Amino acid sequence: MTARRFDVVVVGGGSAGCVVAARLSEDPARSVLLIEEGQDPRPIPEIIANPRRQGELILESDFVRLYEAERADGSTFPLISGRVLGGGSSVNNLGVMRPLKRDFDAWARFGGPAWSYESLLSAAIALEDDPDFPDSPLHGKGGPLRLNRAWKFDSPSDPPVEAMMAVADQLGIPRCEDMAVPEPYGLCASPYNLVDGKRQSAVNAFLDPARGRPNLTIQANTRATRLMLDGSCVTAVEVAGPDGPERIEAGRVVVCAGAYQTPHLLLLSGIGPADKIERVGLAVRHRLDGVGENFQDHAVVYMTFSGSAGLREDYLIPKVRLFVASTPGMDHGDLHILLHPSIRVPGMAPLLPVSIRLLEDRARGSVWLSSADPADLPAVDPRILSHPTDRTAMLNGMQLLADFVRHPRMAEFYGELVTPGEGESWEEHAVGSHITYNHATGTCRLGQADDPMAVVGPDLRVHGLDNLWLADMSVIPVIPHAPTNLTANLVGSIAARNIAAD
Amino acid sequence: MKLAGQIEIAAPAERVWATINDPVGLAACIPGVQDVRKIDDRTFGGGITAAVGPMEGHFDFSAVIEQSDFPSALVVQMTGTDSVTKSTLLATVTTSLEILGESRTRLAYTATLNVKGRLAILGDMILRATASMMISELVKCLKVRLEPPAGAAAAGAPEAAT
Repeated sequence: MTARRFDVVVVGGGSAGCVVAARLSEDPARSVLLIEEGQDPRPIPEIIANPRRQGELILESDFVRLYEAERADGSTFPLISGRVLGGGSSVNNLGVMRPLKRDFDAWARFGGPAWSYESLLSAAIALEDDPDFPDSPLHGKGGPLRLNRAWKFDSPSDPPVEAMMAVADQLGIPRCEDMAVPEPYGLCASPYNLVDGKRQSAVNAFLDPARGRPNLTIQANTRATRLMLDGSCVTAVEVAGPDGPERIEAGRVVVCAGAYQTPHLLLLSGIGPADKIERVGLAVRHRLDGVGENFQDHAVVYMTFSGSAGLREDYLIPKVRLFVASTPGMDHGDLHILLHPSIRVPGMAPLLPVSIRLLEDRARGSVWLSSADPADLPAVDPRILSHPTDRTAMLNGMQLLADFVRHPRMAEFYGELVTPGEGESWEEHAVGSHITYNHATGTCRLGQADDPMAVVGPDLRVHGLDNLWLADMSVIPVIPHAPTNLTANLVGSIAARNIAAD
Repeated sequence: MKLAGQIEIAAPAERVWATINDPVGLAACIPGVQDVRKIDDRTFGGGITAAVGPMEGHFDFSAVIEQSDFPSALVVQMTGTDSVTKSTLLATVTTSLEILGESRTRLAYTATLNVKGRLAILGDMILRATASMMISELVKCLKVRLEPPAGAAAAGAPEAAT
């Protein structure tokens, strides 16, 4: 049997891969294959579509994958990624927030003017359809991704939210109705990916409208196991699918497997730093020292309060967040603070968790091969909260939150602090109990050709290889001050534009 | 995950010891704990119910008294499985008493908790807070049960955890 051949093979149907496959198949003359390791469940099951079932989706379904990671104190916690068509966009909390202007500025220091805010703003706007801001030049109209805000400042609110607004006003925290401004700050109405109450993943928004095209093939339940190289050219992708192993020939390959699996596939293919490849007995095909390095994520620490007498079970805490600076004198926000539903044990006061999410990560973790078997997960050392400045920022954020809820208006609902407990070290609590926002970033970062740790160039083509491209959060050199799903969509659209023009 | 603390109780050490060595009797002091029953001299079973937002879970657990040496060491090993994610929770609780006087006893405890499975996603947020709240309820209840009604002034408040 002769091998199948496609003009473009897209590896990974996540938040970026769905955009790449949809955009590149717009030209009917270009044959595109999208392979996805997870399922392509159709119709989309209720557990994915219904945002009220988010907890079950993460805790019970097969649509997520867990990587066990170690904290600085040696305890372990899981990092989560999507493993289903749509990737993170099929399992995330549906937040759709644009990177800040300062994030684009940081990327432009690695990627040059093509990554500046001015260059990419129009591409970001073109992704969205935001009926809440019909007249704003910062928002899109008629784009594939619908944004909406379940709660706005003029919405009727329950007493805890009224109190939150009053405390914010008294503390001089501004109201932020639009998180897409260049520098959002304050008490924010958060935008979400919901259409008629249902999750709108990258599958719904980007891929479904392209499914009928005869030049687009979508193949789920198929894992890429190796890229075959001939000199500076990728000739084929080896996969393991439902019908066994297959070698698929490709004119171009775009890897969109995410910040864990993209470096994993490159390393399995002999593309990366020699020590990471040779330690499992594989041969180096193309040395690139940055593959698997530069891992970043957002640290998340919970503080839990006991509920006060004023709290009623039916009070709704909507999707409202504080986007504030951890440290006095800082000129931008570096924290998201979110209130969460109560934990209830019969016979006990309700427990009210609040999370502090640090939007910067000064340490750099890494991803490497645990073995040469493609079925084994890569190892991850995230090194979250290992930089002293990050720890200080988190501790300042915890203090800021404690002061906020101890304000008399909030104290009506939020009682005494349960964890960290009285006398417990807040730093030990943060270092020993944090999780992450699950925004893995940076493990195949972009940079110029003379940058030894750059894996792809500003155009997202792998340095030194003619026809291999990467498009997902792995290419982003510095983690944005925002959840990463919209950034992944944007990276997909940039890669598709560059490949189409190549 | 580790929780630790100590309290003073205005009661003789022997009475405190007898109380903490009787899990069936002690269960009434811990919120959410139901159906505690004796399986053999050293083994007990029971359940705990908790809700997180819209999700409700039930833990079935068994507890084994590994060591009981008055007054220095009571070591209890607990194993639980939750109904939602089938994750397992392993806990070791070590309690020791220090005799401060005829009717004054200091109780010190350390609890080590370990979660295997997906519950670890929520683990620290939920377990740490729930466990420390349960322990503080248990401590309050112990004092009420063991101290003479007018004698509360003799004992201090629970001291802090690490």
